[in-house]
Amino acid sequence: MACMSRSALHCLLLAALAQSMTMSIAQAQMLAQAGGVDPLALESAPVQKVETQSNIKMFVEGAIGTSSRRYQLGNADLRRASFDFNYSGLVGQGLRFVFSDRVDNIHPTSPGSDSTINSLREAYLTWQSDSGSDIVDIGRINLRYGPGYGYNPTDFFRDGSLRTVTTANPFALRENRLGTVVLRGQHLWTGGSLSIAYSPKLANRPSADGWSLDLGSTNNRDRGLVVLGTQLSESVSTQLLAYKEQGQSSKVGASITALVSDAAVAHAEWSHGNEPDLLRRALLLPDSKSTRNRFAGGLTYTTAGKLSLTAEYQYNGFGLDKSGFTALAANPLNQVSYFLQAQRLQDLVPRQAFLIYVTQKDVGMKNLDLTAFLRVNLVDHSRLGWVELRHHWSNFDLALQLQQNIGRITSEYGILPDRRVIQLLGTYYF
Amino acid sequence: MKQFVLLALSFIFSGLASAAPSADEILVASDAIRNPGRPFSVTVTLTEFQSGKQVDTSTLVSYSRTQQVGGQFASLIRFVSPARDAGKLMLKNGNDLWFYDPASKASVRISPQQRLLGQASNGDVATVNFAKDYTVKFLADEEIKDGHGKLRKARKLGLTAAAPDVTYASIEMWVDAFNSQPIMARFYAESSRLLKTAYYRHYQQQLGVDRPTETVIIDGLNPQSVTLMRFSDYRARAVPETWMQRDYLPRFQPE
Repeated sequence: MACMSRSALHCLLLAALAQSMTMSIAQAQMLAQAGGVDPLALESAPVQKVETQSNIKMFVEGAIGTSSRRYQLGNADLRRASFDFNYSGLVGQGLRFVFSDRVDNIHPTSPGSDSTINSLREAYLTWQSDSGSDIVDIGRINLRYGPGYGYNPTDFFRDGSLRTVTTANPFALRENRLGTVVLRGQHLWTGGSLSIAYSPKLANRPSADGWSLDLGSTNNRDRGLVVLGTQLSESVSTQLLAYKEQGQSSKVGASITALVSDAAVAHAEWSHGNEPDLLRRALLLPDSKSTRNRFAGGLTYTTAGKLSLTAEYQYNGFGLDKSGFTALAANPLNQVSYFLQAQRLQDLVPRQAFLIYVTQKDVGMKNLDLTAFLRVNLVDHSRLGWVELRHHWSNFDLALQLQQNIGRITSEYGILPDRRVIQLLGTYYF
Repeated sequence: MKQFVLLALSFIFSGLASAAPSADEILVASDAIRNPGRPFSVTVTLTEFQSGKQVDTSTLVSYSRTQQVGGQFASLIRFVSPARDAGKLMLKNGNDLWFYDPASKASVRISPQQRLLGQASNGDVATVNFAKDYTVKFLADEEIKDGHGKLRKARKLGLTAAAPDVTYASIEMWVDAFNSQPIMARFYAESSRLLKTAYYRHYQQQLGVDRPTETVIIDGLNPQSVTLMRFSDYRARAVPETWMQRDYLPRFQPE
């Protein structure tokens, strides 16, 4: 109404001024919030031409550290240099060659091992139909199954697959393992897939030679695996597995993952088989088989503060229970054999165990991540704690790791020579 | 005569009213501008700033399609850089979310909250079809400044999550009054807390339509944190439905 009494031009000028002031205030608020920088004046980084990206991925890693040891062994200096190389490239219509290798130079060396160890993780040809629904692979392939964080009962090809153990972190361990020579076919459809793999016997026993292909670790018997993957709904997926190896009865397994809420994911995996228990295998006792289960199940919860927490219960029906542990403690040599056998098979040492795994992104500053886990042997109550602080730069990571093995001298973690390990790692990505 | 004029006028106005697009139609048109209606791939360059200083940059390629069953918009995202993350994959098929690391061969189901930890979370403000997951109503006609500081007549839409499991509880969106191009949007949590503000700008012809090739994302909790998403190299390409599942992740072969 005020405008009606003034000239039209005057009104327009006032309206324009008001509009301009409104925008200026909004802009000023945005500038003030953004620390005086106009977000709309920022420029993107140059666009990377992905067509020219390399088929090669590689990094070098160096580690130095110290170990505080038991048995009056004093402290030991630790050194490691590693070179990690991956290649994947097309060699024909739908045909691709994949190669993955890692060389570790480790000091001090494990008894009976070379200081330089090459791990040919993968080398295989894979053919895929145009639609991607039919796939055939042949060669050394890392066949890994199971959603468990610290124990994978359905990961049937895990035994003997680690040539070097450079970390206690179960996630990082998976990156170093040897593949198995297999012929595999897979068919995928919307919401599911079926794969069949056959792994032949190619060698009799593992090799300690640092540059060996070590087929004796991964292909020392004929094996076969059938896996059916199904997506039951948007939030539930399953895998059913059937496994058979030479001289052993068949095993079955299943796994499931489910979205429980906006912030929580549950996982579980189980396997069932008839085989000698872990102690009999370790001590080469007369063959006596029993039918038992293995299980791992847990929940991962993520907060809005970038903290992710996983709790996992683990069960190995073939592992020792409390009375078994007590009996084993009377014979230290048998005890060492038992633990080494479990490590070689990547099996769970006790009947029951628990894992807590934590990651926190951007701890106090951007690109500084914290990872920590605690393994608890629920039978002898020994524990392994591990913490890592890692900072990412564009092509470089710097990490500080601390590992503490806690427990009585006869326990799973208390028997280890290393009481505490501190390491500083630098990784450069090419 | 008077009745005839009134009848004619009511006919004309009712015709005009039915010709004006509804809020739903505007949102669908706006979605179609951001996302091609056929399977496609696009390279996304993310540049992150803190207080105006560039602190991070990463590149990924997104392969997207609308699923035949349920009409869900699904994306398979391949990380290209930094070198540390090259080759890693993320699958988003509704709330079926997976992260795959070729080094460990591990496909890990992740929650929507977990996905927000990474840069790919910003993809939601740029590459999601909102009409599928939100109910929409017209709020107002406004004149606002776009991502280039230019005044534009806009229609302000109010979006409310149609299901409890979507990333943002509500969205305010301004689209161009004449061509439905998205100009700006504000994304809110269930608590009505502002999570992100996005400006859609640098419109260029991509796959036959003028599409925004850059999105400026201002963090609602920390406005000094700004991410620029640059979209380039749009390509119409085959993205089979069988790709959008966990079991395909270890099998994915980049061109």
